Amino acid sequence: MKSSRGLRLGTTLFSFTNEFHARQYSTEQLILKVAELGLGPGLEIVGFQSFRDYPEISDKFAEDLKELLSSCKLEPSCLAINADINIGKDRTLTVDELVVYHEAQIRAAAKLGFPVARCQFAAGPEVIRRLVPLAERLNVKLGLEIHAPEAVDSPLVLSYREMYVKVNSPYLGFIPDFGASAKALPPSFLAHFRKEGVPEKIVCVAEEVWATAEGNFGARLSEYHRRARQTGAAEADIHKLNMLFAMLSKQKPSAWIEIMPQVVHVHGKFYEFDKDGNEAAISYAELLPVFRDGGYKGFISSEWEGTAFTDDNGFEAVQAHHALCRRILARA
Amino acid sequence: MLQTKLIAENGLRATSTGFDVEVRLPWYRGLPLSTVEIGDVVLNGEAINPASVSIEVNGKTRLPGDLATLYDERWYVLDSAMLHVSHSELKRGEQYDVAVSVNLRPPYIPGLTWAVKDAKRLTANS
Repeated sequence: MKSSRGLRLGTTLFSFTNEFHARQYSTEQLILKVAELGLGPGLEIVGFQSFRDYPEISDKFAEDLKELLSSCKLEPSCLAINADINIGKDRTLTVDELVVYHEAQIRAAAKLGFPVARCQFAAGPEVIRRLVPLAERLNVKLGLEIHAPEAVDSPLVLSYREMYVKVNSPYLGFIPDFGASAKALPPSFLAHFRKEGVPEKIVCVAEEVWATAEGNFGARLSEYHRRARQTGAAEADIHKLNMLFAMLSKQKPSAWIEIMPQVVHVHGKFYEFDKDGNEAAISYAELLPVFRDGGYKGFISSEWEGTAFTDDNGFEAVQAHHALCRRILARA
Repeated sequence: MLQTKLIAENGLRATSTGFDVEVRLPWYRGLPLSTVEIGDVVLNGEAINPASVSIEVNGKTRLPGDLATLYDERWYVLDSAMLHVSHSELKRGEQYDVAVSVNLRPPYIPGLTWAVKDAKRLTANS
């Protein structure tokens, strides 16, 4: 697709969490299905989801997987690794321990042929900094996922950006998650809470505060709590909607330009489509051109998170998402 | 939506010492056992004494309270766990209302406790 320039499509097996968890498809069967439906060529995998013995990966397992991907004409795009810092109720991994915890996963990424490892905020800049020599040696880029409720210029992300400037390694990058650039809350998410019995009045308050309140996550959440309490709703119900503010935030699409040269992968987060096939809560028509025209060359994984509140089919969701992305990228 | 998959379909079994409930990890990835807390087990409205419950996962049976320090052992997302409950015998073939709750603390999301409650009407199998 000429007009997509260096932007290429792909998918993460996370999108098929419903099918995988229900044991309808094994990891291998999901990969074959992704290829059959043309949902590549990029393939992203969550290590702790798709591989039983992860982060231990045997030579045979790695060879078999690489052969499978190559026979399907899929390219490993990103291995999503985890920063499991709060390993127990009363136990937090130290920086040293967390470095070791990450190293095993970066070795797994290299062994399986993934060029990028998705890192998480919970790691902290110091842990990521200490992983750079290994990442350089193994040729695996470290992509910090910028997920809602953070933004390119929030203090947390700035702490990484400052470290990146000091270290100045091409192996340090970012993975924007489009859930941080939503324009609204997904209607099916709100419908889910209504069905769960959360009172309509606080669903409306959450929707309004999400759309209008300014400031950081804490400020927006406090404003929601303040207004929700005025309705007299139960605290337990009020707190059920907190996750809306954590899972989706509303940085404007063009803000990503600021870090574009450091983008090493993209999470094309999505939930549902309107009657015209557009994402109902996230403006792909605005976001994709920002990345394509901003010079991003790499994969965007279709990441369907409707699994959080529906039993809908992940394959249909990703097919619709690919169709939307193709349509937008085909425009001049 | 994994919250409704905590209790496995057809997951009630009558045993000579009470009953077993098959449970699934209601999360998308495997988690350290130390981040999994077994909450209430309720049968036909009767809250089961926690001391009567043990959990079998990875081929080992332990008390729910023992999970808290199993930092290096994971519950893989495709595996079932079995809650073994000491109880008076159930009638095989009869239906029971089963409710189970668990709290998950996904270790990469500091501060989050994901409370999941599931309830299903199940037939007691042999």
